[in-house]
Amino acid sequence: MAPDPAALADAGLAATWFGATLPPDVRERLAMLARRERYGPGDVLLREGEPADDLGIVLVGRIALRLRVPERGSVTILTVEPGDLVGWSAIVPPHRSTSSAIALVPSEVLTFAGEPLRAALDADPVLAAAVYPRVLRAVARRLDATRLQLLDLFTAPGAEPW
Amino acid sequence: MIAAAPPPVSEVRFLPRADLDRLIDALADDGRTVIGPTVADGAIVLDEVRSVADLPVGWAAESKPGGYRLSRRSDARAFDHAVGPTSWKRWTFPPRAPMASRVEAAQSLAFLGVRACEIAALLTQDRVLQGGPAVDADYRVRRASALVVAVECATALETCFCTSMGTGPEVTSGYDIALTELDDGFVVRAGSPAGEAIVGRLDLPQANVGQRVAAADTLRRTRERIGNPVPTEGLAARIVAAAESPRWAEIAERCLACANCTLVCPTCFCTSVGTKSDLDGGNATSERTWDSCFTFDFARVAGGNFRPRTRDRYRQWLTHKFGTWWDHFGSSGCVGCGRCIAWCPVGIDIRAELMAVAPPPLSETVLVASVAPAPSTAPDPSTALDPSAAPAPSAFPASETLPERYVDVVVTSTRRETADTVSLRLATDDPALLACRPGQFVMVARPAFATPPISVSRVHQDGLTLTIRAAGPATTALTRLERGAVMSVRGPLGRGWPVEAAVGRDVVVVTGGIGLAPLRPLLDAFLAERERFGRIRLAYGARTPADRLFVDELDALARDGRIEVESTVDRAGQEWLGRVGVVTQLIDADACSGRESVAFVCGPERMMAATADVLAECGIPPERVFVTLERHMECGVGLCGHCQLGRFFVCRDGPVFSLAELGPALRVEGL
Repeated sequence: MAPDPAALADAGLAATWFGATLPPDVRERLAMLARRERYGPGDVLLREGEPADDLGIVLVGRIALRLRVPERGSVTILTVEPGDLVGWSAIVPPHRSTSSAIALVPSEVLTFAGEPLRAALDADPVLAAAVYPRVLRAVARRLDATRLQLLDLFTAPGAEPW
Repeated sequence: MIAAAPPPVSEVRFLPRADLDRLIDALADDGRTVIGPTVADGAIVLDEVRSVADLPVGWAAESKPGGYRLSRRSDARAFDHAVGPTSWKRWTFPPRAPMASRVEAAQSLAFLGVRACEIAALLTQDRVLQGGPAVDADYRVRRASALVVAVECATALETCFCTSMGTGPEVTSGYDIALTELDDGFVVRAGSPAGEAIVGRLDLPQANVGQRVAAADTLRRTRERIGNPVPTEGLAARIVAAAESPRWAEIAERCLACANCTLVCPTCFCTSVGTKSDLDGGNATSERTWDSCFTFDFARVAGGNFRPRTRDRYRQWLTHKFGTWWDHFGSSGCVGCGRCIAWCPVGIDIRAELMAVAPPPLSETVLVASVAPAPSTAPDPSTALDPSAAPAPSAFPASETLPERYVDVVVTSTRRETADTVSLRLATDDPALLACRPGQFVMVARPAFATPPISVSRVHQDGLTLTIRAAGPATTALTRLERGAVMSVRGPLGRGWPVEAAVGRDVVVVTGGIGLAPLRPLLDAFLAERERFGRIRLAYGARTPADRLFVDELDALARDGRIEVESTVDRAGQEWLGRVGVVTQLIDADACSGRESVAFVCGPERMMAATADVLAECGIPPERVFVTLERHMECGVGLCGHCQLGRFFVCRDGPVFSLAELGPALRVEGL
């Protein structure tokens, strides 16, 4: 008999920072909505500006977030590593992806379909109270890192006395 | 020339006014050039004095914030004018002098008319320039050659505050001969054998009771006139704590950053160290010239300016004088002479600014002139200045390499690491250079260029490797050197990474960009005795994949597994399959778990501050997080003053510090 997909998802979720501290009943309800997706190098998870259908937690691998910049092509601005979220736009209006997401190496992502997840969060305040702070924490961490990145700290200075 | 105990009454003598020339002659007969007060350019300035006729007899001086005037007086007093714009450091610490360990004997001098505050200034500069670990040889020779004939002040200028600083007006030590001027002559004391020999030759009568009482009354009146304008109890701690006071910005609106105050100050010692070398790059020599922490470039380095604003520089000056000087040299840096008040073109009065920036607690405020002895100027031990609050810098031995000790080295090979960074392999058999420890640096001299401090990126059995990024003209020139080029290096300098602190612990090394260079010798040290350390993780960030240093070595390390290597870049094209994001994202609780960890961090200060936050979240205490700082350095041994950061001279006490030692210093803007 094939393993129960929900049980597999629950085990995967429990292994992440996101799921490890969730109350078991909440985690089980969330796992019911999840599936494990595998991606090969070059596979596209999300496209910039298009509807963000899924929220994912990276379990294995590395996903590049890329923006298109005129005359510079597609620029990788961040890589999403195991434990990080990908596709948080799926639960934040207007549910459009803010960047493209492309697997760089063989990757595995615990994926929640956006529509049923949104419906569950609307209907279940206990689930919402558990999920949203964790999403906020992940987004805040990314914002903080992006600010540091914006400083371009390692750039070569201009003409200086030495 | 430190005075013995006060002489017994029988040895207090009297020099009639008419015989003052005999004293000047006796000093000259001793083979000394006499320097003393004389009138020039509308001020009383110090210059050569051959007879009483050169002294400012019949002149009086007045001063106020931003003002100084001479006027005629009716009596014949020669020394009743307190201090003018010149100070004795012009002779002990001339504006331009070689920095060398051997200096020719200096001309014998006699300083005539040294005030109590000025003796305190000489003793203060003694601690700075010959108190160690490095000694300014030129100063030592000049200072030893000067005989000090002190004069106790019978008058005070409006700008005087020696009473507050505990330095005067009474002359109590540090003199060879002391004079107190009365209407008809001088009460004379000898304070050293050399002084006694000269006084003895004058064959003077004992001072009578009336003369001694008149001298004491003179001093009492001077002390009463000055009062106690700057209550100094706890001042050192208060001013250090006032780093974020809005008053600094307000002062900066008036301050012209002209540096007058530092040039007239008798204790200011900051210099610019210039290096001259032969056109072939060999035989570098150093020369120091007076500099000022008010100049725009004083704290500038390739990549930025640590004190770009006038408010930063004014705060540095005042905080050093009254606060961190205690940490550096064990005393206040101010002697209360008031020159900086009188000679400030816009009349900034440091007495008022001190009371505004760092006011005493209300109960201690002295609103009326006090005749009580000046309060102790010792810093409050209950503050951040308490040396027990953090490991003392002297826990690691300071370098004793003198500024002139340049060694010629030959470039045996070069290696381009990135578009703007080159490694130079240098051959030398100099034992000091070969004993370089991880984290130390050298000063590198080339003809016609400034002398930058460069971190050593590897120590070999027969030389060193320096890894240099082209950031300005000097470093650009270094990156263009070819095999066979000769250059002069001085070092090793500074306190390096405390390798022993990592023994038996897990190690996290976090670095970015060129910051990997000073850490490579540390990694070498770990690998040489790998079994002594726990898990070692290296987190390395660079701007782009092409900006990473030592890529082959890091890849080899990552493969062999003795050190776990993780790299990330701030930006990358599609060909890059590694991580993209800031280096702090490489650190998580997992990286710091296991045995108690120790962290070593090198990169831009903002990156190190962000890394410190993450390491703190991971539970690594600040005593075990070590960072290396960049500052403007010229002498490399704590004499020139450029690299000050709060309590520290970065070149001498660092460049490696624990976060516990630095306290908030890493995060105060413009420090």
